[in-house]
Amino acid sequence: MSDARGRISPPETPDRDQPLEPLEPHHRTAPSDTEQQTAPQSETEPAERPWRRLDSRMLLIGPVRSLKELALPAVVAVIGLSASNSYEATWVIPALVGLLALGLIPWFTTSYRTTGTQFELRQGLINKEHLTAPLDRIRSVDLESSVLLRLLRLTKVQIGTGVDATRITLNAISNADAIELRRRLLARAGPPIAPPTTESITGPITGPTTGRPGIEEDWFESRSEAVPLAVIDWSWLRFAPFSLARLVVVGGLFGALSQLGNDLPLMDVLDAEWRRMSAMAVPVIVAVTLLGALTGWVLLSMGGYVVQWWNLRLVRADGAIRLIAGLLTTRSTTVEEDRIRGVEVSEPVLLRVVGGAELAALATGVGSGGKVSILPPCPQSVALDVGERILDLRDPDESRPLSAPLAPHGAAARRRSYLRAQVVSALWLVAATVLVWTTALPWWPAAVVLLVLVGGGLGAGHSAYRNLGHLLTPEHLVSGSGIVERRRTALEVDGVIGWVIRQSWFQRRAGLATLVATTAAGSEQVAIRDLPLATAIALARRATPGALAPFLATVPAPAAVA
Amino acid sequence: MRTPESDEVPVALREPAHQVSPRAVGYWRTSEAISTAAVVVFLSGVIAATFAIGALERFRPWVLLGSGLLLVFQIAELIWMPQIRFRIHRWEITPTAIHTRSGWLGREERIAPLSRVQTVDSAQGILMRQFRLATITVTTASAAGPIEIACLDEETARRTVADLTEYVGRATGDAT
Repeated sequence: MSDARGRISPPETPDRDQPLEPLEPHHRTAPSDTEQQTAPQSETEPAERPWRRLDSRMLLIGPVRSLKELALPAVVAVIGLSASNSYEATWVIPALVGLLALGLIPWFTTSYRTTGTQFELRQGLINKEHLTAPLDRIRSVDLESSVLLRLLRLTKVQIGTGVDATRITLNAISNADAIELRRRLLARAGPPIAPPTTESITGPITGPTTGRPGIEEDWFESRSEAVPLAVIDWSWLRFAPFSLARLVVVGGLFGALSQLGNDLPLMDVLDAEWRRMSAMAVPVIVAVTLLGALTGWVLLSMGGYVVQWWNLRLVRADGAIRLIAGLLTTRSTTVEEDRIRGVEVSEPVLLRVVGGAELAALATGVGSGGKVSILPPCPQSVALDVGERILDLRDPDESRPLSAPLAPHGAAARRRSYLRAQVVSALWLVAATVLVWTTALPWWPAAVVLLVLVGGGLGAGHSAYRNLGHLLTPEHLVSGSGIVERRRTALEVDGVIGWVIRQSWFQRRAGLATLVATTAAGSEQVAIRDLPLATAIALARRATPGALAPFLATVPAPAAVA
Repeated sequence: MRTPESDEVPVALREPAHQVSPRAVGYWRTSEAISTAAVVVFLSGVIAATFAIGALERFRPWVLLGSGLLLVFQIAELIWMPQIRFRIHRWEITPTAIHTRSGWLGREERIAPLSRVQTVDSAQGILMRQFRLATITVTTASAAGPIEIACLDEETARRTVADLTEYVGRATGDAT
């Protein structure tokens, strides 16, 4: 009841609509009438809220969607049938109409409501599904609008509950409803419910920035409880080409294109052209190709960076962390702060060379592996600073889980790091021996490869040991890991829900163990590799004294049981 | 509370109190024998292929070597693994936490406070039933954290599940 009261406190409600009319500031001060139109239920008793449908504009989107999904098979079918030149072609039109009608079904069959204690969703035509999620199990609410949705001022809502696999998706309700729904779903989190602030969801597609700066300032300054943590700085764009995550996507695209290209006559033309060109100097061709590829990569990566992180804002508001970004598709991810169990700073090898890093939050119930990417590639100092602010340390001056030096694991761990890095060269040695013995191949290329592998292994072992380490601050367990990529994971000690102490046969001989803290957040485990066994147990005990107390061989101090 | 010097105090975990059922040795040996038989069948197939197909003939010594090593490992496992495993596998449940140890070459100890436990399952495979054994699996909210007590005596397993359910029922919160 008290939160329902907070929800409708008059000075705050109007702000909720302000995003919808970004250019009319008076809307914020005037009592909102839009509010009453879009969500009159908030005045009534929560339990009596009626079932609601998706936005009626879904009737437009649905057919377009099903058309998009079926575009390729449809085109193939049409071409195939028209080529066969038979009466079967007459089937195509009714079939298409049927498909379009299919897209309408979700609107007719989906309805949702929130009661005082839970969120309910009914959907399905043949297999009726009635989904109920208790409000106190809802950890995150994401709003996402693709270009199409933004044109119609609609938003897709994804609700994360405790179990990562089942995210509840509401495909397209109006922006106002979405914001209202999110407020209601996350309302019970904090005592005073400030209205949400997601103007980014709206905004004309032609100029997503028009009017933005004004709102941004207003938003940050007018609301004392919304603390900005980070805003995009376009000088960070310099890190884009050094982040290879996007390369995978580009590679996939290229592969698909080339596959498509194989079927086209274009390939033959290119082939002939290529033969003519390769008559020219080979070095020139190589240089031009390299240069072209490099330029293409720089442009592509920067373009992708801009599209993905446009107008990025990271704020702390209403007991939640909210990330808003995107040029074409705007995403607004809101994760309750209580659900954020830690952060991970990663420095992929190329990014590390130029002093960049990425930041992700480990949270429960957010889907996609429990990691929420929070900052794009950015300067390492920014990632560390923002990361520590997200951790919300009680004493930020005393404990610095992300920037304090890690405790190294000692000589045995160093030996193992070097040895482990030689596994590839050992395998190669066996394989090459068999190969050279059984075939007539010369031995020296295999030896050269072996030398390269051994050299690379030495480098990797050195780097792996340097990245290895652990730290326990009053609130966080910190693990350093990675071979060439350096990762530092800080996990809230309260988020540890169990321990695994694992020793392989080799580790046992070296007196080492891998300590794994299991957790519900992120990748569900934080591993600290190759700790001396006694140190591992001591570390686990210091982190969660209660859990280990009954099983300790020596109970040193009565304080340990506390 | 956590104090800096407590890091220096040498601490060790003691052995969990209980062993698994002695019938587990028979069960492990039987299942190991079955898998060894499968390996033998597979290897004889491969070796037969090197005799039947001329192109593969020059690989024959290597295949024989590899098969021999694999077979030796399998047989060693068949002979020693069940006993070693029986010595290592131990478990203990207190009203507040669960502790297990498992493995035979490597070793794995798992500890979880019961307040974080979400489900308690017990399962019995077809071969396990012949040996009147059951396995208890305790899951937490982490996919990395299921704790398995393999090869308990049926009766013990039933009692343990009842105990666990009672302890877990006392805890509150959503265990994440």
